[in-house]
Amino acid sequence: MRQSFLLQYILLLIAQVLICNYFHFTPYLTLTLLPALILCLPTRLSTAAGMLIAFVTGITVDLLAEGVVGLNAFALVPVGLLRRGLVRFVFGEELLVRGENFSIHKFGLPKVIFAVFLMQTVFLVLYIWADGAPVRPFLFNFWRYFISVAAGTLLSVVVADLFTHDDRR
Amino acid sequence: MAVGKKIAGILFNAAIFIGLEVAALSLLGHNGQVQNFFLAKALHGFMAKTWGASESVRYYFSLKGVNEALSQENFQLSQRLKAYESEEEKKRMEALAGSFTDIGEFHYMPASIVKISRNKQHNYLIIGQGTEDGVQPHSGIISAHGVIGIVDAVSKHYAYAISFMNNDFSVSTRLGREGPVGPMVWDGKSSSGAILRQIPLQYRFEPGDTVYTSGFSSIFPADIPLGTVGESRIVNGATYEIAVSLLQDFGAPRYVTLASNKGKEEIDELEEREVAP
Repeated sequence: MRQSFLLQYILLLIAQVLICNYFHFTPYLTLTLLPALILCLPTRLSTAAGMLIAFVTGITVDLLAEGVVGLNAFALVPVGLLRRGLVRFVFGEELLVRGENFSIHKFGLPKVIFAVFLMQTVFLVLYIWADGAPVRPFLFNFWRYFISVAAGTLLSVVVADLFTHDDRR
Repeated sequence: MAVGKKIAGILFNAAIFIGLEVAALSLLGHNGQVQNFFLAKALHGFMAKTWGASESVRYYFSLKGVNEALSQENFQLSQRLKAYESEEEKKRMEALAGSFTDIGEFHYMPASIVKISRNKQHNYLIIGQGTEDGVQPHSGIISAHGVIGIVDAVSKHYAYAISFMNNDFSVSTRLGREGPVGPMVWDGKSSSGAILRQIPLQYRFEPGDTVYTSGFSSIFPADIPLGTVGESRIVNGATYEIAVSLLQDFGAPRYVTLASNKGKEEIDELEEREVAP
């Protein structure tokens, strides 16, 4: 299971790098799977470990993708910080106590969408701000956030379903 | 114990978070011009606030010293101001001292009050001029608003005077320009009240009528407005006793005029010669 998770993680990381390099549909869209990757880390991992993984993941994407180095890392570390708190808030304390992972099967699609949406929001707000939001019109930033969070949440729910595949069986 | 562990955990996570974010921001700053600009701006803002706050704290603790220095400076400025004022006052009085005026039987000269009492039944005042300045005993002290007092004794540089606010003081007055004459005395209660006595019943007057000096004394010139008529009452069925509201404010008179009758000595001599036998 651990090897399977690691493999999936690396594959999705590569997918994110590919998205960053080849999928430039519009300046209004920043498609990211990274918040979902961090959210789906095993709950038994501590917050500090989550943040370190988030930092390394972000830096990896930054280095391999076109863009400013440090941008993904900057936006992803807070996601790592909030991960366990958000899991506790959305799925309950029991999940953390038992060391289990969430899944759509266990908690239903709405809760997972909500959790992914919150993570996407944290990531995108920081990402868009650090990407030069103060020099761009508010409406541009708003629509960029709105479109990106909608598309990213949909894609991330699929990712979350992949990650929680083992639990479902 | 558990709480301590929890706090330690929070601090540990916070340290990790800050360290990673700083590292990410550092990378951002080195690789993106826009990010570099905003980071520099934010950093300068942070530094400015930090230094500003520390400067405010330092300034707060130095306030005692600043206050003492200001107090000292204030004292010195106050002393300098007093010196200037004193000099100006001296020049002014020297200029006025030369402006002696003779009008009719009276000789006028300006003077300043250096001390005045107001809270007694026998009030007095000290004039800042003496025999060297030409002040004579029994000179009247007047102002544009009334009678202030009478010079009683004179030294080389000062004169002691009986104030109108004195139970022993009486001034001859006239009710209106051509009305009856009677003595006016202080009411003994306030600094703006007086009583006009011995006004015959056949004379008519109205509240608000003005009371003037009569001129029937060798001390005060005639027709100086003193006050206005207020309430009245009949005394012993023979005369009116009228309350007068004084025009002169005895709260803080500063500059006055001394009036001395040039013929007073002669009048007094004549009176003594004719009345005494």
